[in-house]
Amino acid sequence: MVGVLSVAVNLLMALGMAGGAGLWIDRTGRRSRTRRIIAVVVGAGLGALTWWGITSVDKLETTATGVVVSILASGLIFVAANKLFDLAPDRWAVFTTLVGAACSFTGFAMLWGNRVIDGPVLRTVVATALGAAAGYLLGTVERPGPRLAIGTGAGAALGALAASGMRAVILVFELEQGTFELWPVLPDLRYVPLAILTLAGAGAGLVVRLLRRRETPLLRSLMPGAILGYAVGAWLVPDLGLGTRTDAYVAAIGVGLGIGALVGLKPIPDHNARGQIEGSARAYIFLIPALGFIASTLIIPTLRTLFLSFHDARGQEYVGFVNYRDVFGSPNIFNLEGWAGIFGSKLFWVGAVLILFGMGVSVVLGRQSGYRISFSPGSGGIAALGAMLALFAVFAAMRGTLFNNLWWVVTVTVISTTAGLAIAVLADRSKGESIAKSLIFMPMAISFVGAGVIWRFMYLARDVSKPQTGVINTFWVGLGNLSLSRGPGFWIAVVLSLGLAALMVRLALRAWRVGERGIGAGAAVCALPLVWFAYALWRGVGGFEVRDNGDVVASTIQFAQQAPFNNVWLMLVLIWIQTGFTMVIFSAAIKAVPSELIEAARVDGASESQAFWRVIIPQIAPTIGVVITTLIVLVMKVFDIVKVMTNGNFGTQVIANEMWQRAFTELNFGLGSALAVVLFIAVLPILFLNIRRMQKAAS
Amino acid sequence: MKVRRKHMKVKLVRLLALMAALALVAGACGGDETDTPATPETVVVTSIVTETETVTEVVTETVTEVVTETVEVEMVNPLAGTTVTVFGPESSDAEAGSHQAALDIFAAQNDMTIQYTGERSFSDLINAQAAGGNPPDIAVFPQPGKIADFAREGWILPIPDDVLATMDANIGAAWNAFGNVDGVQYAIPTKADLKSLVWYRPADFAANGYEVPGTWADLKALSQQMIDDGNVPWCVGIESGGATGWAFTDWVEDLTLRYEGADFYDEWVAHTIPFDSPEMNAIWTEILALWNTPGAVYAEGGTISSTFFGDNGRPLVEGDCMMHRQASFFSAFFPDGTAFGPDGVDVFYFPSVTGDRPVLGAGTLVSAFRDAPEVWAVMEYYASPEYADNRQRFQNLSKGGGAVLSGFLSPNLNADLSLYQPLEQSFLDILFTAEVVRFDGSDLMPAAVGAGTFWSEATSAVNGDKTVEEATAAIESSWPSS
Repeated sequence: MVGVLSVAVNLLMALGMAGGAGLWIDRTGRRSRTRRIIAVVVGAGLGALTWWGITSVDKLETTATGVVVSILASGLIFVAANKLFDLAPDRWAVFTTLVGAACSFTGFAMLWGNRVIDGPVLRTVVATALGAAAGYLLGTVERPGPRLAIGTGAGAALGALAASGMRAVILVFELEQGTFELWPVLPDLRYVPLAILTLAGAGAGLVVRLLRRRETPLLRSLMPGAILGYAVGAWLVPDLGLGTRTDAYVAAIGVGLGIGALVGLKPIPDHNARGQIEGSARAYIFLIPALGFIASTLIIPTLRTLFLSFHDARGQEYVGFVNYRDVFGSPNIFNLEGWAGIFGSKLFWVGAVLILFGMGVSVVLGRQSGYRISFSPGSGGIAALGAMLALFAVFAAMRGTLFNNLWWVVTVTVISTTAGLAIAVLADRSKGESIAKSLIFMPMAISFVGAGVIWRFMYLARDVSKPQTGVINTFWVGLGNLSLSRGPGFWIAVVLSLGLAALMVRLALRAWRVGERGIGAGAAVCALPLVWFAYALWRGVGGFEVRDNGDVVASTIQFAQQAPFNNVWLMLVLIWIQTGFTMVIFSAAIKAVPSELIEAARVDGASESQAFWRVIIPQIAPTIGVVITTLIVLVMKVFDIVKVMTNGNFGTQVIANEMWQRAFTELNFGLGSALAVVLFIAVLPILFLNIRRMQKAAS
Repeated sequence: MKVRRKHMKVKLVRLLALMAALALVAGACGGDETDTPATPETVVVTSIVTETETVTEVVTETVTEVVTETVEVEMVNPLAGTTVTVFGPESSDAEAGSHQAALDIFAAQNDMTIQYTGERSFSDLINAQAAGGNPPDIAVFPQPGKIADFAREGWILPIPDDVLATMDANIGAAWNAFGNVDGVQYAIPTKADLKSLVWYRPADFAANGYEVPGTWADLKALSQQMIDDGNVPWCVGIESGGATGWAFTDWVEDLTLRYEGADFYDEWVAHTIPFDSPEMNAIWTEILALWNTPGAVYAEGGTISSTFFGDNGRPLVEGDCMMHRQASFFSAFFPDGTAFGPDGVDVFYFPSVTGDRPVLGAGTLVSAFRDAPEVWAVMEYYASPEYADNRQRFQNLSKGGGAVLSGFLSPNLNADLSLYQPLEQSFLDILFTAEVVRFDGSDLMPAAVGAGTFWSEATSAVNGDKTVEEATAAIESSWPSS
């Protein structure tokens, strides 16, 4: 049986290929025997290819021929559809005949393909002929009465044709153990919901009509909704497989009747309207390949993920919001318990003091300039730094995958953007700009996985009894030795840091005197850590530890293991990569700022920093927006770095890795999909903003 | 009028063409479903075709000798020309290479092709392949828990009786039980690991006057004595990429078997005893207390949780620590040229608490996804002593040949013991004579626990991020409800 079926399918396919090729080659409309022969040969060749693909046992061959044949066939269908609508303006009757035949053929071919009907060959041929006849009549008969009769008659006949051959159950496939999977077909009609749905559909049509205020006849605006409601009520609501043949007739004929009536009620369009039909159809024909591609690679997977997120681990039973409850109920994913720890952390209070200090300076500055508060680069920067530290304290206390992701987003976005902007500005038109920028851009060329591996080696630690091999721990332990040695190196370091601090203080005083209060405050803040460093060096700083018995041993930092700040060390990797990207974009944007603007500002007496903050920044604001949104989306999806460096252990889990582990390691597709949906929803507003901005820029 | 009619004819041809083109859509829709039931049929057909072809070849070759012809025809191997794909986790050159080589011998004998592919992330990939309907013919599972999952999904096939007979004749019932799901045998054990071992250097012990401990209490006392003497007793590291934490779970399993016995162990694995029971918490606490004693552990990577488990071989050889508890396959992780036995690195049995000497094992098992004679032929080969011996020969050669430890142990009772070094023979002896053998528990549990929270929460506890109670409670709550 299967053999006969595939022979039939293949014959049809070969015919289709030949015909399609003929259509393509004979596009001039002239009769040419050679072209026909070529067409038939091409068609036969394609048919043979299909045949070979289907009968081949080798998976690769089947797949390869399947791909080739599908592409060629899609191309032929595309050409044929274009050709079909060419006919609409001038040869209306031919057009309607073809459309009628094509529609009924497609419908029955689908039933056939899904093995819903018995005697598929005969039924499909009859249906196609019926559709062609109805199409021809509807394309020529002009009186409304007969038109309606033709439409409803043909629709009902097609419905009856389908229902008469409908199988009770479809054999979907035969498992190797000899069991079958069956899909029931015949609907067990329930008339009350059927009527309600039909009426609801009609009601929806009425609402649409009222809203649109179109001058369409009442019946025609009600019918589409009613037909849809009927179809849903007849085929989706009832239990399939339990119904009788009569039920199938009622369900199928009702739908066919409705569609037929809808078509029959329309008068034959005049020439103008036919042209419009051709034009709009053309647009859809050209859109369909792109839409199909997007649907198959983006929309359908998204919907499938959404579907899975409401089902159990195997994607079979509906469980409602259980997966989402698990996401937000798991202490490893969402944990607020540590909130009190925020106020116990030094970091938070340092941040708070910095915020207050920055605000204070801003208020003082504001009084001078007549505003209530005025953020200058220095004062605003201090406040921002304070806010950042306070946020770190918050994220260090609130643990879990979701907070980790937020932490990533805030830190990487802010630092990458700021650092990229600063480098772009400082390097702009300076000596060695290209070399500096190339060096900073270089990490962009390294994959995330590669960067993760590189930084694993940077962060490496060994047992303290051995010489360290990780770069950073080597320095850290070396610093400890330096600090303990009290040798010449120690004194050089102390003098150097104190000297730098003195320079900073001098800069601060100078700036304050000149009136650049903000820079002054910034320099003063920078001086503090330098003094602290000299003091710490004297007290002892770096990788060493004094044991109880007075022995001094080396001590290392476990960058990737010590929670919660191991997260920051992982973020550093992404910052290292992404700063090059932001720098290049900002550099280009800054160079695009018209120099007249800056010169004009200078002529008006603006200082260098005023020119930057008041002229350049507003000019590149859209670029900053784009960079920030791009970064946020990128960081939300961070996966590779965490996977390679910690695999989510030690409190570094992020949503993407959590999703991977739940779905693919533990085979819990429900929970994994729920996490994917959470990530998707979190990214959505930013994507939306980005698209809005792009649309604005375009208009 | 006449012209117009002709034109109509042309259009009619085009109409037919269009319809036929649309048929393609239908064909494409129905294609997949048509293929599936057709496949077994077609397979049979092609194999018959192959046979006839071979027959014709033979006939042309032996035109003159009519008598031989019939004999030749009868001897045509039904497996000739077939291909079988095998997918497994063994990916190092030594393991994957010797696995492939052992299969190649069988393939050459039968004029067929067997392709082994090894991937480190086997556990993730096989899920995707099986769920996506594109599995290999045979998969090499390191986790019986996964075999049970796959069997219940209907993805792997029960082993037919003739293959079963070969398996029962060669492999002990204790090992075969790991491939048995709800009373049906789905898998054949092909490799065994002995986990209850402590690696040490007899020379170090002799120099310090230490004796191999006979009980768990002796071991703890010895550990303390070593600390008092200024030696570091243990090398420990649990880092292992995506599987970080498994080395700790082995300690837990070994001690659970020793303290609570095999019945408790089975119930714990089957989750009739909760993961955060007081007994389990006590065992976790005991291990962490041993490890966290100041001076007890040398961690190559700075801390236990950042030390790669394989990095413990060199420190042991160089004397940074005195003992390392790890499975038999760990011999592959010692530096090249390490001597094994009383003069080099040796092992002692991880001592028992009550004297019942239970053994914790692990290993790999093969299961089939495709029902075809060539697949079952390869499965039967896996159950035979020939596979075990070929594999051991090649694995030994890949390590340099001669008196080296291959890192491979076969569960096959009829394997040729002379192919193994004395140390390996002692491993096999322990494996085959132990009365209580249990498979690595984390490999038996559902993946969400056994390859998920058990590892990750263990890492948290070892790293000090969570208390034992917090960690075991988190594992308990992560156990799948169904």
